[in-house]
Amino acid sequence: MKRSGPLFTLLGGLLLALVMLSLNATTGTSPTASGGGETPATKVSPSPEPEPTKTTASPSPSPSAPGNADYAGRTDDDSSAVAVSLRDGKAIAYFCDGRDQESWLKGDVKADGSMRLTSKQGGVLNGELKGGRISGTVDMGQQEYGFTADKALKPSGLYRATESVRGAEIDGGWIVLPDGQQVGIVKRDGTPSAAPRIDPETGAVTVDGQQLTARPVQP
Amino acid sequence: MTVDPNAATQDFPSPEPARGRRQQAVGYLVPALVAGAVALALGAYGKVHEPAGTAFNLAGFSSTGAVKSWLATGAMGFAVVQFVSALMVYGKLPGPSWAGVLHRWSGRVAFLAAVPVAVHCLYALGYQTYEPRVLWHSLLGCFFFGAFSAKMLLLRSERLPGWLLPIVGGLVFAALTVVWLTSALWFFRTFGVTT
Repeated sequence: MKRSGPLFTLLGGLLLALVMLSLNATTGTSPTASGGGETPATKVSPSPEPEPTKTTASPSPSPSAPGNADYAGRTDDDSSAVAVSLRDGKAIAYFCDGRDQESWLKGDVKADGSMRLTSKQGGVLNGELKGGRISGTVDMGQQEYGFTADKALKPSGLYRATESVRGAEIDGGWIVLPDGQQVGIVKRDGTPSAAPRIDPETGAVTVDGQQLTARPVQP
Repeated sequence: MTVDPNAATQDFPSPEPARGRRQQAVGYLVPALVAGAVALALGAYGKVHEPAGTAFNLAGFSSTGAVKSWLATGAMGFAVVQFVSALMVYGKLPGPSWAGVLHRWSGRVAFLAAVPVAVHCLYALGYQTYEPRVLWHSLLGCFFFGAFSAKMLLLRSERLPGWLLPIVGGLVFAALTVVWLTSALWFFRTFGVTT
């Protein structure tokens, strides 16, 4: 005769975990799921036509893919900041003007250091990693920006915080530049505005009186 | 063969040494393998699944961080009850006759409170290593659920040495303590005790 109580405890926990996971998956509050519907709120950038070639079917990254690192810098006209995080042949980039225009772009990095990253809203970043810096262009639909991003060591890099605060979905993105300057945007239910500073060491930031944590973003 | 379940974990000489030893080996092996599998599976999921950044929130709380911190603190509180009631069960502390029931149910509540926290961690944040606090939290968080599975399965095994359950239970308790220190306590210290 064996006790079955402990087994029921384990199964109960497993069941609870599965229920919560399915709730998470079905409620679709993830930023990737809600990101598409947020473009109309952005006033300055009229939502560009989503590109038919959304999924860049570039060849799978070779073993000699560029090393894992973060890059951060400004656009050539000094109006916006661009940061790119490379991990295992994949890249995620954040373009942000600190006021009302931002974009998260994703894609693969080729073995020669070139990359083409795309956003859900149709933005495209073409960049090339050469000599410890990434240079290239970001096409935000309305305007194309040239940029140069130097290798960034922590705490500089790109950060994101998503939380629901009193019913509103808060989605903040920050670029901490190597000189310590920050460029960030907080969206409240899709409406963008300038973001308060984060503490680069802890990622702590106060939005609407609520303490949130911005976390480093990796692809 | 009927064995009194309450005496099952006591270390007593087996009437059939050879067979008993094999059963005993299986009794260790299965929980150990399951524990490793659970911990690895959680870690692998947290590493592979792209962190969603957010998950659904509970009503009445300002942020998911606060919900998790309070649930984790609840689990930690019940874990302390676990520790004390275990001492009572083993007769190290004077305790009531229902200490065993208390131990079982406080454990269940603590476990069930910890599960939603872990689901949120793994779904929204993933297995992260970008600073020591986060690394230890990720590592021991996975370890905790593995060790807890082992503890539950060991309860079903018969004829274990008497020291085994307290050791594994202590590991589970220690892991939860560090997991709590590196998350909920950090949250309360960083952001204040908010709901």
